[in-house]
Amino acid sequence: MVFLSNVILRTEGLSIQFGALKAVNNVSLSIEADKFTSILGPNGAGKTTFFNLVSGRYKPTGGRVFFKDQDVTALTPQQRIHAGMGRSFQLTNVFPALSVHENVRLSVQSAAKVRYTKLFRSYKKYTDIYEETNNILERILLKDKADVKAGDLTHGEQRKLELGMVLAQKPEVLLLDEPTAGMSVEEVPVMIDLLKNIKDAGETTIVLIEHKMNMVKALSDVLVVLVNGELLCEGDPETVSNNPDVMTAYLGGGVINVAT
Amino acid sequence: MGGEKIMKNYISGLSTIEKIEKLLLLAVFVVLVVVPHVSGTATITMVSRIMIFAVYAMAYDILRGYIGVIHLGFALFIGGGAYFVGIMISQFGVSLPVLLMAVVGTAIYSAIWALIVGRISGKSGLLATAMITMAFAEIMRSLMTVWRTVTQGEDGLTFRVPSPFDNRMFMFYASLAFMILMAFVLYKFTKSPTGRVWQAVRENEQRAIFLGYDTNRARTIALLVASIVGGLAGVMFGLLNRFVNTDLLGMQMTYNAMLYSLLGGSGTLFGAILGSGVVVLFQNLLLDLRGVHFIFERWLLFFGGLYIVVVMFMPRGIMGFYYDWKEKMAYKKRVKDGEKV
Repeated sequence: MVFLSNVILRTEGLSIQFGALKAVNNVSLSIEADKFTSILGPNGAGKTTFFNLVSGRYKPTGGRVFFKDQDVTALTPQQRIHAGMGRSFQLTNVFPALSVHENVRLSVQSAAKVRYTKLFRSYKKYTDIYEETNNILERILLKDKADVKAGDLTHGEQRKLELGMVLAQKPEVLLLDEPTAGMSVEEVPVMIDLLKNIKDAGETTIVLIEHKMNMVKALSDVLVVLVNGELLCEGDPETVSNNPDVMTAYLGGGVINVAT
Repeated sequence: MGGEKIMKNYISGLSTIEKIEKLLLLAVFVVLVVVPHVSGTATITMVSRIMIFAVYAMAYDILRGYIGVIHLGFALFIGGGAYFVGIMISQFGVSLPVLLMAVVGTAIYSAIWALIVGRISGKSGLLATAMITMAFAEIMRSLMTVWRTVTQGEDGLTFRVPSPFDNRMFMFYASLAFMILMAFVLYKFTKSPTGRVWQAVRENEQRAIFLGYDTNRARTIALLVASIVGGLAGVMFGLLNRFVNTDLLGMQMTYNAMLYSLLGGSGTLFGAILGSGVVVLFQNLLLDLRGVHFIFERWLLFFGGLYIVVVMFMPRGIMGFYYDWKEKMAYKKRVKDGEKV
């Protein structure tokens, strides 16, 4: 058993029902701080819905969410973000008409909690926000694209930008929804490296959604498998990937370890 | 490193254009200062009207072009402000303190509408907000029609204004100062951290929420700013016109704001000034031509044509077109310099 104090994010019987469909069904999960947790499952397993519940985009029809032992089930997404829960999106979700720099800067500005009533001060005067933005851009390897419109980036670059926008919030828990989704074969290792750096920096606890296990097996400390909205099993990567239930349930068996 | 160099070229590449811009602005300013000394009352009034409508359209652009709210009842503010002046003066006498009360009243009235619309737009979508705001303006218009004892209903209310606002020359300079002040204030707002959040909300509200922004709050602030500035434009218009009727609260007034800012360039703020100028001048020119041929009396006919041309060839309006051109020039220069290196 883990010590409760080490658990940063916990769900208790978390469920949501859309009509007759139980998209997420009674999921109780404890995520430990400083452990890289990957949530796996085939398409339609309810992974993203689970994130939507945890991050507050949807209200659950049952169960609760705890962050650092505080019940956050009733909080709005904004309140959860300011409490330290950041999330990225599976479908690229940036501000396409704004520059890369501005996309990240907006995120830094939000984390800096600049008052809304500061209407007479130019945003350019906040030099600390500006510097922090540049740091983030350097970290996600997009510094030379700072002035490019986010909509003009390649898909892979947009995924990096997405990651940078979440990082900028300095979250204690980083909920990453398939950061490599739709990336080309050359781009994936770059993203994995980025994730590794974040993990090694040890500033935040990463929870990641992925549907290809080989992508994250080496990175992860804990694997969680969701199937049909239910928690199938959790544990260290070796145990989970050799679990016969996982083998059969997940993509009809065996496929889970196939290299892509 | 490369980025810094490009930035430098970007700036130096535009320095000539920026100089021309400054000269042009100065020229416009000089012309505006001189106009009342060389032209008749009709022109003075027309230019004053352009400048007041410019503020009204800029306020509208904060909503449509920055935060992305479609406010179809924006006439609430130009009409409301003008009615405040008219009613207060006709009820409490022609004096400056009464005028001041009208200004304060307008600000409160506009703020109340902004808060109501803010609540609604936070809960329902863009389209519902558009429809409901349209209904609000109609409600106000009906109220002013029915309240005959005070507003004279559809006949409209004629009133005198306190000195020095009864002087055309003074009113002209007051309008000029009003426009410059409001353009400056609104420009500052759009460049503030909150103004940047407005654009984020317009671009992708869901994402703005997940960056941790209280988008309803940001929107309410934008509504407050736009509504109050719009209301003040209404006060100025009342002072200039010395007459208000229910047309000022009608759909046509909202269309005007929309037309000015779209033509000038939505989301460019100063485009609204240009739009207001182009539309009112063009309208007057066509009306002057009615002696040549009666078709010019139907000026809206030509206006439709102009509008189609703008939408087809400059979808981002005149200012937007100019900004795009400027960006293209800077890019070309960058490429050229890059080749040299």
